[in-house]
Amino acid sequence: MAREFQRGHKAKVSDLTAGTDLYVGVQIGGPGLTFDISCFGLDANEQLSDDRYFVFFNQPKSPEESIQLLGPQSGDTESFRVTLDRVPANIHKLSFTATLDGAGQMSQVGPGYIRVVAGGEEVVRYSFTGAEFSTERAVMLGDFYLKDVWRFAAVGQGFDGGLEALLKNFGGEVLEEEPAAPQQPEPQGATPGFAPPPQVAAPAPQFGAPAQPAPSFGAPVPAPAPAPAAPQHYAPPPQGSTPPPPSPSPQIHAAPTIAAPMHLVPGTVPPPAPAPYGQPPQQPPYGQPPQQPQFGRQPAPVPGQVPPPGAPAPYGQPAPYGQPAPYGQPQGMPQGGGGLHAAIQMYKELPTGQRWTSQNKQLVRVDLGAGGQPVLARQGSMVMYQGKVDFGYKGAGFAGRIVGNATGQEMQLMRCSGRGQVFLAENSAYLHPIELQGDGICVSAEHVLAFDESLQYEVRRIEGHGIPGGALFTMLFQGTGTVVVMTHGTPVVLPVTPTTFADSDAIVAWSAASQVIVSSQVRLRRNAYPGHSGESVNLQFRGAPGNFIVVQPYEV
Amino acid sequence: MNQQLAGYAPTPVAARMENHGSAMLKVAMATGQDLLARVGSMVAYEGFIQYEPNPPAVRQMARDWITGEGAPLMKCTGDGLLYLADYGANVVIVNLNNDAISVNGTNVLAFDASLQWGVERVKGLAKFAGQGLFNVKISGTGWVALTSRGTPVVVDCGSGEDETYVDPDALVAWSPNLKVKGKRSFKASSLIGRGSGEAFQMAFSGQGIVVVQPSEDSTDRLRARG
Repeated sequence: MAREFQRGHKAKVSDLTAGTDLYVGVQIGGPGLTFDISCFGLDANEQLSDDRYFVFFNQPKSPEESIQLLGPQSGDTESFRVTLDRVPANIHKLSFTATLDGAGQMSQVGPGYIRVVAGGEEVVRYSFTGAEFSTERAVMLGDFYLKDVWRFAAVGQGFDGGLEALLKNFGGEVLEEEPAAPQQPEPQGATPGFAPPPQVAAPAPQFGAPAQPAPSFGAPVPAPAPAPAAPQHYAPPPQGSTPPPPSPSPQIHAAPTIAAPMHLVPGTVPPPAPAPYGQPPQQPPYGQPPQQPQFGRQPAPVPGQVPPPGAPAPYGQPAPYGQPAPYGQPQGMPQGGGGLHAAIQMYKELPTGQRWTSQNKQLVRVDLGAGGQPVLARQGSMVMYQGKVDFGYKGAGFAGRIVGNATGQEMQLMRCSGRGQVFLAENSAYLHPIELQGDGICVSAEHVLAFDESLQYEVRRIEGHGIPGGALFTMLFQGTGTVVVMTHGTPVVLPVTPTTFADSDAIVAWSAASQVIVSSQVRLRRNAYPGHSGESVNLQFRGAPGNFIVVQPYEV
Repeated sequence: MNQQLAGYAPTPVAARMENHGSAMLKVAMATGQDLLARVGSMVAYEGFIQYEPNPPAVRQMARDWITGEGAPLMKCTGDGLLYLADYGANVVIVNLNNDAISVNGTNVLAFDASLQWGVERVKGLAKFAGQGLFNVKISGTGWVALTSRGTPVVVDCGSGEDETYVDPDALVAWSPNLKVKGKRSFKASSLIGRGSGEAFQMAFSGQGIVVVQPSEDSTDRLRARG
C-alpha cells in the first residue's frame, strides 16, 4: 500500500517497509527539458565530504555499491538501488536531486514523483508538479537520512543556480573540486559510446512500444548539467538513428521534428540581445531576386539551424523570412523523423499508480480500481474512460437539497463506479485535485468537478443582497479523500487576514475554518453603467492564521 | 517597448509548420507546397500568399461536409509565412510519416495539400450530435495541424484490456485502424430526464491512439463566425 507524501512529510523507513534493499525511482520530465538525476551521500554535517558518494551518470555506484544507479526503467526517468544497511557509517543522508540540463526552469516540468519500492511493491511516493516550483534549475526531491534510524523525507526544495548551487549547499570546500567532477565526463559524455542506459530511452523505437508509459523526453542525456553546451538542449531527437553528434555545434535536426508548442514560446525565453523585431537590419526586401550575395552562402543547414542559446542574436534579427532561401526550407530537413508518434509523444497518458492523477493542467484521471470507491463528478465532465465504468444519476439526496433552496442553481452530479480509468475535464478549466486528510474546505458549488464519495459534504448557502441568483452555494467537504476544484485561469491563494475580501463571483474555495461575512458597499454614484445597481458585493473572510482563500482570475 | 515585445518576434523558420506560442501555427509557405487550411483561420501572413476559398478539388471531396456555407477549407498558395489560429485553441502539429490519422472535422486547422485526405462520416453515428460527426482522414507524408481546446491527452488503446470510450464532443483525433462504434448508455432511469449526462460515447478498440481534449466544447467557432 503506497503512501502519498506531500512536501515535508517524513517517516521512518522501518514504518514503510521492513526491507532495507530499496529501489528509488524518480520520474521528472517536461517538454524539451533534460534532467540529470543524482544522489548525494552526505555526512553528519550535510556535506559531501567524500565525492565518491556523489552517484550520477558518470559514477554509477558508490565504492561499496550501497548506492547504485540503474538507469531509466518501469516508467521512471532514473532509478537507484539503495541498500541502507550497507551504507557506511559516516554517511548520514542520501539526497536525491534532479538538475536541469540545458535551458528551462523547474516550473516547466510536468507531473513527476520520487518513489521508493521495496520487494516489488511501492511503499511511498512523493508527487510534485511544475506548479510547485518557479525559476529553480535544480531541486532536492527526497532524502533518506539517519536520525537514530533511517528515515525518508519528501523535500521538494529548489535551487535557482542549478547543480552549482546544489553543490555549494552540500559543502563549500567541495565547490572547487566538485564542478570538476561533472566536467570530467564532458568529452566522454558527448561521444555516443558512453552511458548506454540514457541512450536506450531516447531514440524513436520506444515510441512504438505501447506498454511503455515512460515519457521519454525526460530521459537523461549524457551531458553534465553545468556544461552550457547547447547541443542536447532538445535532448531526445525523435529520429532514433541520429546519435548526439560529438561536436558541440547545435544539433540541427533536433528542432524541426519536435512539436513542442508551449515551451518553444519565445516569450518564455528572455531574448539575450536587444535585437528588436521590426527593424531588421540590412534585410533584403521580399521580392528581391536571389542574386543577393548572401544567398549563395546559404548552405542547406541554415534553415533548420537553431541558434545556440548563448548566441547573441536570437530572435528576429537577420530575419530569415526576408531571405528567399528559408521559404523553401524543408529541403534540408529530416522529413518525417518520428512522424505521428513523435509529434504526440508529449501528450501521452501518464503512468498509472495513483487514484487521482493530473494528466495535465486541464485533465484529471481517476483510477476507480485503486480504492474501489465510486467517485461523484459533475454531469457531463467525463471526456473518456477505459474499462468497465458505470455512470449513474446521483440521487436527489444531495441535488434535492440544493434544488429545494434555489431554482436554476442546482448542481447535477453523476456517480462513476466500477473498475477503470475515467478522464474528467470541463471546458478546459484548470483542475486542482486537493487531498483532504481530515480537514475541511468550502468550495463554491460551480467549481466542484469531482470528489471521492468517501468525503462528507454538505451544501451551505450564503445569502446576500446582490449576489447573482440570490445566494452563493458552497459545498463543505470534510473527511479523507480528494476534491477536484476547477478554476478559470491560474488561481491565487491568499491567507486570511483581518482584511481579506473577495468578489463573490471570483471566489473559488476557502478553508472551512474561516468565517464568511457578506459586505455590501453602496457607491455614491449609483449608475456607474446601465443595469448596474451601484452596489457591489464582497465577501469578507475572518479566521485564525493558517486559513486561506482561493480566488480565480475570472468572474463568472 | 520593442525590448519587451521582442520576445514574441517570430523565431527563425526551422520547419514547415511550427508553433508560435501554444495557440498559433506558423507555416512556411513555398511555391508548389500548397496548404489547405480552415476558412477563417488566417490571422496574419507575410509574403505573397493567395487564398482560394472553396477550391474545386476540395468541393468535390468535402461535399458531405458542406452544409450550405461552402467547403470549410481554403487553399493557400504562394511564398511567405502564414500564421493560423482558431480562437485560442491549442495547436498540435503532427508530422505524418506515411501514417494516417482521422481528425474530427472541427479540429482540423491545416494540412499539406499533398497529403491524401477524404471526408467520411463515422459509421453508425451519422445521425448523432448536432454538428454531425464528420471526420477527415489524412494519410501520407507531410504536416498536419490540429486544434484542441486545452492541452490534449493521447491514450493508447492497446494498453487497456477494455475498449476506450470517449465523449464525442471531446474527441480530437484517432488512428484510422481502430474500430469505432457508438455506445449508448441509456438506462430506464435515463429516459425520465435523470441521466448521468453521459448518454452517448464512442467506443474504440484495437491498436492505435486516441487524442482527447479536456473540453466538451466542440462548437465550430470558425464556422459560426460566418
